[in-house]
Order: sequence, then C-alpha cells, then structure tokens
Amino acid sequence: MTPIIRVTNLRKYFRVSLRAKGLVGTVRGLFTGDYRLVRAVDGISFEVQPGELVGYLGPNGAGKSTTLKMLTGLLVPTSGELHVNGRVPWRERKAYVAHIGAVFGNRSTLWWDLPVVDSLELLQYIYRVPPAAFRRNLDEFRELLELDAFLDTPVRSLSLGQRMRADLCAALLHNPDLVFLDEPTIGLDVVAKERIRQFILHVNREHGTTVLLTTHDLSDVEKLCERVMIIDHGQLLYDGTLSGLRERFGGKRELVVDFAEDYADVSVDGVEVAGREGPRVVYRFGREDMSASQLISALSERFRIEDLSVREPDIEDTVRRIYEERLLE
Amino acid sequence: MLYRLDLYRRLIGVQMRSQLQYRTAFLLDTLTTASQVVTAFLTLALILQRFDNVGGWKLPEVAFLYGMVEMAFGSMDMLFSGFDPDNFSLQVQRGLLDQLMLRPVDITLQVLGSEFIVRRIGRIAQGAAVFALGLALLPIQWTPLKLVYLPVVFASLVCFFGGLFIIGATITFWTVESIEAVNIFTYGGTEMMAYPMSIYPDWMRRFFTYIVPAIFLNYYPALYILGKPDPLGLPAFAPFLAPVAGFSVLLVAALFWQFGLRHYQSTGT
Repeated sequence: MTPIIRVTNLRKYFRVSLRAKGLVGTVRGLFTGDYRLVRAVDGISFEVQPGELVGYLGPNGAGKSTTLKMLTGLLVPTSGELHVNGRVPWRERKAYVAHIGAVFGNRSTLWWDLPVVDSLELLQYIYRVPPAAFRRNLDEFRELLELDAFLDTPVRSLSLGQRMRADLCAALLHNPDLVFLDEPTIGLDVVAKERIRQFILHVNREHGTTVLLTTHDLSDVEKLCERVMIIDHGQLLYDGTLSGLRERFGGKRELVVDFAEDYADVSVDGVEVAGREGPRVVYRFGREDMSASQLISALSERFRIEDLSVREPDIEDTVRRIYEERLLE
Repeated sequence: MLYRLDLYRRLIGVQMRSQLQYRTAFLLDTLTTASQVVTAFLTLALILQRFDNVGGWKLPEVAFLYGMVEMAFGSMDMLFSGFDPDNFSLQVQRGLLDQLMLRPVDITLQVLGSEFIVRRIGRIAQGAAVFALGLALLPIQWTPLKLVYLPVVFASLVCFFGGLFIIGATITFWTVESIEAVNIFTYGGTEMMAYPMSIYPDWMRRFFTYIVPAIFLNYYPALYILGKPDPLGLPAFAPFLAPVAGFSVLLVAALFWQFGLRHYQSTGT
C-alpha cells in the first residue's frame, strides 16, 4: 500500500531574532545576523498507512504543533521531504486542503455569530460538497455527536464540549481522506471526552479516514490508538505500538497479595517489597526480573494466599518517565 | 470567477447578519461615527468663517475635498476592514490566518470577506452630505468629462486607501509594534488629503507626490473639476493621474501582500 503520509528527514528551524523591539529593531534585524536558531523539528521520518489511527505525543514545545502545521500546509519545512495524500502540502495548498480535515482544539473554524447549521452550510459551499453527500454526512454526524440540541445556536453561545463536537462535524463533512486533530479532548469532562473518542473511532472504522491526533490525555491514546509516536526536542523518540511502549519502558509491575496470616518474613529474592500492611503485601518487580506467574508460584510454595491482583504500570507514568529520564535518546 | 464572487457575497452576508444581530449597538455606532465626521467639519467651518479661506480655498471648495475623502475612506474602511492593520494583526495572533489557509479557497478573498463593517455607512453618509453641500454652493462648470471622471476619482481613492490598509496589514507579519507608524499614513493621510495640498511645507508635498502619490488622488482632480489654477506647476495631465496612482498603490500592495503571505508560511507566528 502507498503510505498516505510520508515524511523523510523533516526539519523546521526558526530564527528567533534577538533584538526585535520596535520598528528600528525589526529593520535592523533584517540585515544583521543576531538571532538564535530554534530547531523545532529536527530530522524526523515516518510513514502512515491509509486507515491508521496514530497518536502523536510529546511534552509542550517538543515540536508537535510545528509538525502538524507542516503536515497541514501552514508551514514550509526548512528541509526534508513531506508527501501527504499524494501532494506536497505547502506547495499545492488549495488542492491539498480540499481533501483533509483539521481541528485545532483551542480555536474554532466556525463563524462565531452564526448558528452552527449555517456555518456547516457555508462550509459545504466552500468545500463544494454535493448536496446528497452533505445531507448523508450531516444526518450521520448529528446523531453520533448529538448536535440537534444546539444546531440552531450561535457558536459563541456553545459550551466547549458542544463547540468541539460542532468543529469535528465541520472537519469531516467533506469526507476528507485524512484528518488532523490537535488536542480534540482538551478541557472536556469525562462524558464529553468519551463521546468524542467514540466518534473518532467510528469515523476511522466506518469511513476509513486516517487520523493523526495529538493529545495530552493518555487515555485518549489508550482507547483510540494502536500506534503512538513520541516526539521530544524535535526528534522522534518512539514509533510503535502502545503495548510495545509499555513493554519496553513500562517500569515495574506490582503484585498485591493478601496472605492468610501475618508472616514474619515475606521477602523474595530479586523482588522489592513496596509496601506492607498486616497480611497485605505489595511486591514490585520488573519484567526482566521474573514473570507474574513465577512470583506467584514462588509465594504460594511458602505461604498461604487468600487473594492477589497484578497492577500494570500506568501509561501516563511510562510516558512521563520517557520524557524525564530521556530513555529513548 | 462567479464562484469567487458568490463566495465573497456569502462571507459578507455572514458579517452583515452578525452585525445586525446587535441592532442597538449598530445604530449607536453608526450615529457616533457619523457625528464625528460632522463635528470635525463644523469645527473646520467655524475656523474658516474667521479666516475666510485655507490656502486660497473657500469653505465650499474645502467641503468638496473633505467630503470626497471622507466618502472614499468610509467606503474603503467598509470593504477592506478585513485588512485593517489593528484588527488584522489581532486576528493573526488568534490564528485566523491558519484557519483561512486550511480552507480550499483563496486567502485574500477570505480576508476580504472576514470583516465588513456596515456601520461605516454613517461615515460615508456624512461625507456625502458635506460633499453635496460643497457641490450645491459651488458654481462648477460641468462638462461630460468631469461627470465621468468624478466616480473614477472616487474609485481611485478607495483603491489607494485600500492599498495602504493592505500594506499595513502585511507589515504586521513582521512586527505588530509598528502599527502606529502605519496608522500615521492611513489615518493621517486621510486627514491631510481633506485639505488643499498647497498649505503644506515643500518636503511634505514632495513626499506625497513622488513617494506616496496622494496628491494626484484628491487635490489635482479637485483643481480640475473646480476649475482652479495649479499653483504647483505640474504638467497639465496631472489631474488625470488619479486612476494610475490609485491602481499602482493597490497593485504594489497586492504584490507585497503575496510576499508577506509566503513569509508567514515559512515562519509562522
């Protein structure tokens, strides 16, 4: 299959002028070489196949937005190659954006004073969506996103969650091949987040729309994405499955055991006792140390066990550790 | 082309509908802008009563200049308000341009359609009133050429001011701190063009002849239509340079704007 996104050695450097104060400073800045070079994206390569749902993660300032802006044609790369949906985004802007959708979580693409439905109709005109396709999509999306309650409300009076639903609908009305979602669940409550996740999954599965999303909420990734890419300091640190990420960097798992009695010595070689509260003991062990079943059988040989449970490490912790300890560099 | 016109009409329609939603605010705004223009002219009229003329121009003649500039600037401010540097730089910071770039239609057309300040009608109407007053009091020798040329002068002024707005908006891609400097040209320029150019010092007049060709847009056409002699001794065709000057400024602005957009695409905000 031909990849829908092909990024090769992509770079984006910004010159930040060191004295850009006032008109004089700006004019002088044009001629003198006093600037600092910021490597926002510093040589990343990846491919995305049609129909994939990819999570793009990274701490603030890691280069996520810059990548997204290049992918959507808003920014011209400093170097490297970028082919999306058969085109070079920044070079063929109009033709390119006609077949993609984008939602930038913190701002709306809709007209502020216009009722939602009027905005959608204007977008239908702008994207030249045939009336039949428009009807079909609108009917489908308004049900999934429960838009009916506020379809006639001006965008300025919508809640954040409603606005996001309206924006998602707007971004997908023209049946884009590929959609970029920047923080689609930011600032929403649990119920609203869930509805949006369901919608993204639906569009990806039923319409085959390729989705690339950035998020700070790792439950988005856990519930939606098979594949994650992690960027930091402008470089791609990880590109693979979520479970692979957990396996490699998952840190330690925990086994919580309720013993029948309060044994004096419950230590096991190579396993840390992370906590003890009467007959309840928490063991912490790494994947490389032993498997859960090995530990359980070692314990059951020596003690009588009432109950036990295994805790997988949090994906949130995993990713935080990757950023903080720079495990991937 | 038809599609673009229709799209423009729809985008403007959105703006109109939004503004008319707030009816009271709209009416008040219109009245305020209008009364500002009238107050300014009344002040001028009072001064003229005392001094009789400005640089050899009587009150009705100044009304002709003043009314023309006000009408043209008001119309431009309505049509080109998407490019109003103050508003534009704010919108860019809010990410407007990114939003527009994500839509498969022309960016310039969208910026033009992103704002349409209907209440400028007030300024236009008052400008027209002052202009009409001038016409009524002046013994103009109308010829067919003058009648045809009058609307051309008006359109050229609109182009000229529009060009200044676009240049101002484009500069904000590089710096938002110099908006004030840009405003000196647009707002100061309007103010200046409302009076006969002969009253200004030499260096200033030269600047507005050869660098920014403002002198050909209002002063010279007025000399011709009012049948006044040219005190500055420019060639006889000078009164007819209005469309050339207006159109060239708009053209230069459009080219600069395209350049600015490319710059924006390579640096972001």
